[in-house]
Amino acid sequence: MMKTQLAMVIDSSKCIDCKACTVACKVENQVPEGHWRNWVKHAEPDADRLARGGKDTAGHFQPGACMHCEEPTCVRACPTGATYKDEADGSIRVDSALCIGCGSCIPACPYGARYRHPEKKIVDKCDYCSARRARGELPACVVTCPTKARTFGNLHDPKSEAAILMAANSTVRVANPESDTRPNMYYIGATAPLNWPVKAQFPAPISIWAKLAKPLIWGAVGLNALGVLVMLGKQVLMADDAPEAEDPENQKEATHG
Amino acid sequence: MGNRMMRRHTPATIFMHWFNAACWIFLLATGIGLIKNDDLQPIGGWYADLMRSIFGGGANLLLAHEICGVIWAAGFLIFGLVGIRKYVIPFVREIATFSPSRDLMWLVTKGIQMTLGHKALATIARRFGFAARIPDQGFYNTGQKLFAVPSLLGGVVIAVTGVIMMLSTSVITDPTIVQWSILIHFVTVGLVFAGLLIHIYMASIAAGERPAFISMFTGTVPEDYAEHHHKLWYDEVTAASGKEASG
Repeated sequence: MMKTQLAMVIDSSKCIDCKACTVACKVENQVPEGHWRNWVKHAEPDADRLARGGKDTAGHFQPGACMHCEEPTCVRACPTGATYKDEADGSIRVDSALCIGCGSCIPACPYGARYRHPEKKIVDKCDYCSARRARGELPACVVTCPTKARTFGNLHDPKSEAAILMAANSTVRVANPESDTRPNMYYIGATAPLNWPVKAQFPAPISIWAKLAKPLIWGAVGLNALGVLVMLGKQVLMADDAPEAEDPENQKEATHG
Repeated sequence: MGNRMMRRHTPATIFMHWFNAACWIFLLATGIGLIKNDDLQPIGGWYADLMRSIFGGGANLLLAHEICGVIWAAGFLIFGLVGIRKYVIPFVREIATFSPSRDLMWLVTKGIQMTLGHKALATIARRFGFAARIPDQGFYNTGQKLFAVPSLLGGVVIAVTGVIMMLSTSVITDPTIVQWSILIHFVTVGLVFAGLLIHIYMASIAAGERPAFISMFTGTVPEDYAEHHHKLWYDEVTAASGKEASG
């Protein structure tokens, strides 16, 4: 287990959908127009149930962002290791100098937390406001939230606000049952939507590489290496190998061999 | 027949051969190190980590690979443009000319001789009713041509996909082509590398090939070697020089 695991503990029942967190994030991280590093999802009230006067008909707002997962599918989709899990704090980071902008990680995130920056042409996403953290400040979305729906901290430090909230409450994680990435974003009590509808998708070239290209290349290299070994073995074991003497044409070759 | 030396390679082609070899070694070492993903990495995660330690991080490793790649591609581009008449066209014509009888029979006879020996070749040839003689070859033999064609085409594919990856972070809007380029780059390098194993064995270890190896430094081969290994080329050159001498 990592010494530090940064995480967000969210009380979505406190969210009033003011979207201050999304604005603060965009300003802090200069997120370009049309893209977002974080979001507030809506669970719409069920119109049929509402008409029948049934229970559980309320709408619900769910703040989210990159969930800095335990089993990050984005890391598994990145060919170069530009997307990686930071050993120091357990967050998922992008090395902008190593990212070649292939975008393989984008569909691999079921939460849609990644986008390809339209000018830099490399992948960008939430890094828990690393510049602010370096100054000892909390992420912009956490500080901005007027109802304090978002709490941020080290889960492995029992004195952190996030760990205290985790200890005092039952929490759930929002995940797709078919591709559970074990997110490090915990929702207090209940939240909606709970079953994430989107599954992690690896782009075809990445899947083909892992399942087909790698064994194919090993096969080709192995076959040729075997060929070399056979020829080498023949060369060593039949050092005196020469063309048969009865054929005058071959005998001539033998003198030159 | 004397054993004078005859010219087989010019200083330019010798330089390009070793320039290519040096670039390949560096690009292969750094390129495999760039694959940091256990599902994709062909050797192991330790290798990617090792290369990153040597170069001081993945970003430096990528930069070194890109710089060397550009030098390699630019070197061949310049050589190709300057030497299109003298080198490229004759080379392509030479490696792309296959004759079924000569080249297929070379594959069969040489393949048996290299793995099972001359005795086995004679026995098998008698059994199946073909001549145990290895067919005469031109400037390149069938095996060399079979490696030269994928090397040339593969080199173009490797350079083009590499350029696409480099352009990814500046001009490419839809990165789907970049994702395919990475895969094609990897597969092409892997296949050419597989052929390279045979090339290196033939040049440095195989019996009787020492003059060819030395000629990659001196540019010349002994006449009897040329006549034995590249009879058609030898005949062509001696006929041409004979004409020159008489004319």
